[in-house]
Amino acid sequence: MSVMLQTPSRASTGSTTSFHPLSRQNTMSSYEGSRSTRQSKRYSMSALYMSMSANDSDLIIEDELARAQKVLRDLKTKISSQSKKNFVLEKDVRYLDSRIALLIQNRMALEEQNEVASHLEDATDIQEGAFPNDDKTQKYGNLLFLLQSEPRHIAHLCRLVTMAEIDSLLQTVMFTIYGNQYESREEHLLLTMFQSVLTYQFDNTPEYSSLLRANTPVSRMMTTYTRRGPGQSFLKSVLADRINSLIELKDLDLEINPLKVYERMIEEAEAKDPESPEAMLPKGITQEEAAENPKVQEIINPRLTMLTEIANGFLETIIDGLEETPYGIRWICKQIRSLTKRKYPDANDQIICTLIGSFFFLRFINPAIVTPKSYMLIDGTPADKPRKTLTYVAKMLQNLANKPSYAKEPYMAKLQPFIHANKDKVNRFMLELCEVQDFYETLEMDNYVALSKKDLQLDITLNEIYAMHGLLEKHAGELYKDENSHLAIIMSELGTAPPQVPRKENRVINLPLFSRWETAIDDLTAALDITQEEVFFMEAKSIFVQILRTIPANSSVARRPLRLERIADAAATSKNDAVMVRKGIRAMELLSQLQELKVVDKSDQFSLLRDEVEQELQHLGSLKEVVMSETIKLEEVYKTIRDHNAYLVSQLDTYKSYLHNVRSQSEGKTRKQQKQQVLGPYKFTHQQLEKEGVIQKSNVPDNRRANIYFNFTSPLPGTFVISLHYKGRNRGLLELDLKLDDLLEMQKDNQDELDLEYVQFNVPKVLALLNKRFARKKGW
Amino acid sequence: MMRTYGFQPCREFHIVVLGTGGVGKSCLTAQFVHNEWIESYDPTIEDSYRTQVAVDGRQVILEILDTAGTEQFVAMRDLYMKAGQGFLLVFSITSQASLDELATLREEIIRIKDDENIPIVMVGNKADLLDQRAVDRAKAFTISQQWNAPYYEASARTRTNVDEVFIDLCRQMLRRDDSGQLDDDDGARNGSGYGYGQGKQEDGHGPMKKKRRRKRKGDHKCIIM
Ligand SMILES: Nc1nc2c(ncn2[C@@H]2O[C@H](COP(=O)(O)OP(=O)(O)OP(=O)(O)O)[C@@H](O)[C@H]2O)c(=O)[nH]1
Ligand SMILES: [Mg+2]
Repeated sequence: MSVMLQTPSRASTGSTTSFHPLSRQNTMSSYEGSRSTRQSKRYSMSALYMSMSANDSDLIIEDELARAQKVLRDLKTKISSQSKKNFVLEKDVRYLDSRIALLIQNRMALEEQNEVASHLEDATDIQEGAFPNDDKTQKYGNLLFLLQSEPRHIAHLCRLVTMAEIDSLLQTVMFTIYGNQYESREEHLLLTMFQSVLTYQFDNTPEYSSLLRANTPVSRMMTTYTRRGPGQSFLKSVLADRINSLIELKDLDLEINPLKVYERMIEEAEAKDPESPEAMLPKGITQEEAAENPKVQEIINPRLTMLTEIANGFLETIIDGLEETPYGIRWICKQIRSLTKRKYPDANDQIICTLIGSFFFLRFINPAIVTPKSYMLIDGTPADKPRKTLTYVAKMLQNLANKPSYAKEPYMAKLQPFIHANKDKVNRFMLELCEVQDFYETLEMDNYVALSKKDLQLDITLNEIYAMHGLLEKHAGELYKDENSHLAIIMSELGTAPPQVPRKENRVINLPLFSRWETAIDDLTAALDITQEEVFFMEAKSIFVQILRTIPANSSVARRPLRLERIADAAATSKNDAVMVRKGIRAMELLSQLQELKVVDKSDQFSLLRDEVEQELQHLGSLKEVVMSETIKLEEVYKTIRDHNAYLVSQLDTYKSYLHNVRSQSEGKTRKQQKQQVLGPYKFTHQQLEKEGVIQKSNVPDNRRANIYFNFTSPLPGTFVISLHYKGRNRGLLELDLKLDDLLEMQKDNQDELDLEYVQFNVPKVLALLNKRFARKKGW
Repeated sequence: MMRTYGFQPCREFHIVVLGTGGVGKSCLTAQFVHNEWIESYDPTIEDSYRTQVAVDGRQVILEILDTAGTEQFVAMRDLYMKAGQGFLLVFSITSQASLDELATLREEIIRIKDDENIPIVMVGNKADLLDQRAVDRAKAFTISQQWNAPYYEASARTRTNVDEVFIDLCRQMLRRDDSGQLDDDDGARNGSGYGYGQGKQEDGHGPMKKKRRRKRKGDHKCIIM
């Protein structure tokens, strides 16, 4: 358990980054404005103190803040591990999406079916395990420590691997090696790796016009990076509401391409009255001609206004979200700016902003706007018209960042006023995004702290370890030419990389990390150039804060102004609390030592120390609020991620059942039908199905709904009969035969509606329901 | 550019231009449609063009969708591919990786269209940048043969082979259309790739697998009782 010891000034500047300084080691403090290295080291020291005492179970503090912090920390761990699971599941689902499509089309050979099946069998949670012997555990522990703490190796590797290899490498890097997404040290190391890869790309791209355009390891890293918790929750908080309210307006048509408007106008006129003058208009005219048509203009003009309003709304929330933008995203913007300046000294702000925009808007914001479903921002697929509107919004935002050439789509020039009105604002915003502090000093500090901790560890799968081992080995010639380098030594000791194990035998290993070469903690004060006085001062401050957090806030010793001697005394003489007594005694010692060193002065009630302790407590008070509100936000994120997980899992289950089904059918041909028992009928009321979203539209009058119910039966695996009944009548009103293939095919084609005359079912929801209800032992 | 179009209801085709970021999809398309060279840094999200061309004396309306090469927009691909009837697969001869990405795109098209003979033209763009060439013409050509698609080397900058790639694609689509099969066709593919003199593609009877498409659409029956 740790206490946050922060300098009072933090409280006001904590919002420089959304990455709140709440992690175990408080290293984010260096983001604030200018401050000397020395000072920042001193602040880091206090973090170090807290972190060291964190290993000491004696010092556990159990106040509300501590509890809130624990809740938050647990939540962050859960988000980290859940987002990794989702990342893996998504890959599985994507793979199976394409396979199943082939299967539905009867175009898959039996061997391939088997392969898919084996892929599916173990797409479930991987079990825990351990290496067979200590030696391997140690060596891999050392290797992983080295990779984690010296990001240059992985950065180098990222440039060497093929695009085919990069995905699994990035998965290991982003979700495992640096998978602790809310832990500053890991975040910083990951960003350091980013920087190295970015620099390489800038150095090796001859013209700026092709910078950040191609899909490269860097762009892939960006994609993967934005998929981590902080990026996801930012997109959700900034975009989700706006997108959702747009999507509800299914029929809002904001097409402004004059040709399309013209054609739609004729179509509608023909439908209404084929004799009307509009219906008789000539077809096949040019865009220019269409644009000149007064009727077309009449339709388009208000749409331009609407689009501008909508885009302005998006822009506003994005700009307002400046402070909420994840630190890492902003830091990447900053790197782009400084690399551009270095490589192209003549580059003006416009060029810099274009390049920042090609990351921030092109690769982060806009993909989420045009395909919100794949970013978990909405549930369903947007209808055509809202989809088009969202595409326009994204194009408008992108045009703000780039120099748009209306040569492509001349009608987009009509939106120029939007560009003119916002261009400067957006450029300013993008430059502001870059205004975050670097973290190098704290990173150095963090690495010391990491070494001092006994519990540095990693949850990593066997296959991740072996794949990493294999990649390093493959590129040995480039990565560790010097055979005396630490990496070379470990690699030679480890020998040849083992092959990947079958998915079934894959295990999660809890690997303790350590370094056999570095033990920095002893000479820390020397390494950090910190005086003994400062060390005493920090320790004293930390002890007083701990004592005060333990005693009740309304006790007389806690009254302000604090009288430090009295507090130490009260602690030292407290009854039945040995830990408190020890702390009290230590506090007294420190006070007199500091007095001797003339750091504090008894005659002014140790005011220097006292003020800092008071400010710290005040800050901790407000910290609690921050912790609470962040917890609420992250709970939301966690819920989204979990929902998405449930969706992915049910998708996999459906595929699993389907595949099983296909295979048992083809087996059945030879082995004769096995015992195939009819499952069901299961009864559902109209109300139930409506609540679960299975019924997405109903034509049944309200007052009759209570009398309607449905029976679901599965006579054969993969075959279902749904019947609709009216209470009291013997015969059903309607019966529908369904094959799982059909449902899957509809889903594949994004066809969401299953028509049952009286009601309309939602295809994915039906699949989920069948899945839940009719899970036969193996398959359906 | 004002054109007065023909009286005949002419055929309309949907072309989708695909390829990784920065290979010059937009430049090619803009050259073809507007005769303009675009220099600016302007990554695409989704642009649509409409134009009319004469192919072997027949008027054809083309709806061309210029897509995002930026990988973050992958989720949009499904929709494009469904709508497309002919595909330009563009890479840059200065980047091997850009060629590598085409394989996945082609697979995806074939899967989504459920048709191995869907009209495709493969384009190696930026052919003017000879000193930066990273992809052998022969190598690219071999791949195009395996795919049974014509290969052209083109340059949007010098406007070389720009019309040719689009017209070739139109021919393929017209031929399919003529034979009246949107589903099954064999003879439709007959490359006319004369890209940079050498790209002549052999007659289009490569290793075609006849697709087996079962007809099951709307098979689930709803009986009202
Ligand atoms: N030398 C040369 N440069 C070209 C050629 N075609 C395009 N370019 C340049 O390549 C860059 C990218 O071209 P675009 O047409 O925007 O690329 P794109 O494929 O549309 O890229 P995305 O829209 O991001 O997918 C531009 O700076 C062009 O000037 C060409 O034939 N020769
Ligand atoms: Mg483009």
